[in-house]
Amino acid sequence: MRTVCMLLIVALSLPGFAFADPDPRQIIRDTVDHWRGQSSYTEMTMVIHRPDWERSMTMRGWTKGEDQSLVRVVAPQKDRGNATLTDGNNMWSFSPKVNRVIKIPSSLMAQSWMGSDFSNKDIVKNDDIIDQYDHTLLSSELVDGQIVYTIQSVPHDDAPVVWGKEVLKIRQDYVLLEQGFYDQDGKLVKKLETLEIADMGGRPTSKRQRMSEVEKADEWTEIQLEVVRYDIDISDSMFTLSNLRNPRD
Amino acid sequence: MKTLAILGKLAWRNLWRNRRRTFIMLAAVAIGIWAMIFMTALTQGMVNEMVKDGVSALPGYVQVHQPDYLDDPNINNLIPTPDSEIAARFGSAGLVQWASRIKVPAVLSSERETRGVTLLGIDPGQEHGMTFIHEDNIDGRFLADAADDGIVIGRNLAKTLDTGVGKRVVIMSQDLANNIADRGFRVIGLFGADMQSYEDTYVFVGKSTLQRLLDVGDRVTEIAVMGDDYRNVGPLVDKVKALTGDNVVVQPWTELDPYLGTMLKVMDGFVLVWVIVIFLALSFGLVNTLVMAVFERVREIGLMLALGMKPMSILGQILIESMLLLLFGMLIGNGLAWLSINPLQAGIDISFVGQGMEMFGASSVLIPQLRLQDVLLANGVVLLLGFLASLSPAWRASRYQPIEAITKVD
Repeated sequence: MRTVCMLLIVALSLPGFAFADPDPRQIIRDTVDHWRGQSSYTEMTMVIHRPDWERSMTMRGWTKGEDQSLVRVVAPQKDRGNATLTDGNNMWSFSPKVNRVIKIPSSLMAQSWMGSDFSNKDIVKNDDIIDQYDHTLLSSELVDGQIVYTIQSVPHDDAPVVWGKEVLKIRQDYVLLEQGFYDQDGKLVKKLETLEIADMGGRPTSKRQRMSEVEKADEWTEIQLEVVRYDIDISDSMFTLSNLRNPRD
Repeated sequence: MKTLAILGKLAWRNLWRNRRRTFIMLAAVAIGIWAMIFMTALTQGMVNEMVKDGVSALPGYVQVHQPDYLDDPNINNLIPTPDSEIAARFGSAGLVQWASRIKVPAVLSSERETRGVTLLGIDPGQEHGMTFIHEDNIDGRFLADAADDGIVIGRNLAKTLDTGVGKRVVIMSQDLANNIADRGFRVIGLFGADMQSYEDTYVFVGKSTLQRLLDVGDRVTEIAVMGDDYRNVGPLVDKVKALTGDNVVVQPWTELDPYLGTMLKVMDGFVLVWVIVIFLALSFGLVNTLVMAVFERVREIGLMLALGMKPMSILGQILIESMLLLLFGMLIGNGLAWLSINPLQAGIDISFVGQGMEMFGASSVLIPQLRLQDVLLANGVVLLLGFLASLSPAWRASRYQPIEAITKVD
């Protein structure tokens, strides 16, 4: 009921808002497809910031379809070669120091990924949001000449998601501007914000994103994309355990 | 017979010649007996609570597992027999109570925290009254049936996870193919337990809900069977073995929780040691009293010997005196013990040291347990050892030379 009221208010307050409401679920699906492409290659820098230290890592990543991804650390030297492979809901990590592939067990899924503010689960499950949530369009507003959709996504009862709801702000051209994670009392716990948008690989892309917890203002993780290429040819052998252990790229 | 009557009379009169000394000795015996029985009852009460708590956490007196499950409580180590078959066999075996369940390690997360837990998929109808869950100690409600969609977690765990009744949490575990099995559950109830560690460790979901999540079909990891007497589980083990076959292990609680099993044995031994230690202290008083009594009456004993009383009668007379003393003391002591234990049957609240007690697995209410065999043990030990201790002064008295004894000057 409240959503309907809000939609009404939004609709009334935007006189130029004449076209039919788009399907929020489709918007999210398109957004996921947009930043992943059918396949992608990225070079990125991850900065982990804590009150008393900060460190950064340079990584290269490959994705294919909705399920497969591989991320490999390039710098600094001491982390070089650390890699993470995901395939469906499974995740493996490889560390050259121990020369061992470890399958991340369910018990570690909620742990942080490479010491960042992202959990292993955040890395594996980024597109579960499409099917396991109910989506409602809260508002559409014009910002700098582009429509920004605000979508509220409430997980199904049996969805393996702890959040009470997530609120996504998505720009008309499918750039994710902000994703807020709320607890079940409706309080914002952590959020992913896009700090910089640029044209990369031929598409508008969130160049710099920051994940932060609301209660710990001085702790955040930023991922800055340096190079992005979409829809490139990646062979399936890229996403295998043997490639995780012995890189051939 | 007549001699015995006379000796009894003599002993009885002798006993009351020095009233003060006799009363002091009676008091010593009574307090000794009381201490033996009371402390034993407290100890037994504590052990009883520990065993009951331990058995309710296992639960059951006897459990059945797949052999590898004991080393690795993994969902892959399932009992080979399907659950429906188990139900058919166990249901008609005339057992006190039994339950088949799935017990696997899992991770429980809320928005803020993540904790490792032991996830139990149960059929609440089977387990009613068997586990440490008391229906009147639940906020919200307990699982309604095996297909219930909710989850019941401990009160303290809920506090740690910052969640509560009506909120959703996520369970993560592994399915048969070693893939991650995860699912959201709505918390429908919070249980309270005597032990905080149970509240932190165990979470309950419906058995068939969990079977579906872990993709195990109609299989379980554990069968728990209750019996009548936790001290005698051998027959129950044999009975369950006959029901299950060879490809599983059947273990009594003493093996499942060796700490608890050993504790029971140690406590039984401790009771005997305790009784003997008290008796040793007591025996010094007893022997001393008798030696004094004999020493005072050297001339009298000499006279009796001179008049023709047999040395054996002297011995008997002193022994009877000692036994009378002990019997009266025991009577009073047992009475005292009963009087002091009976009002405590509601339990002694020792929650002010509850956390310390919890460390070795005891709960914070202590109900003294008076067992007939412990009472008999205490009384038997006192009577037997008392008899032996009195032998020496009595023997000495019976060996006096009448002339020497009569003419002895103090």
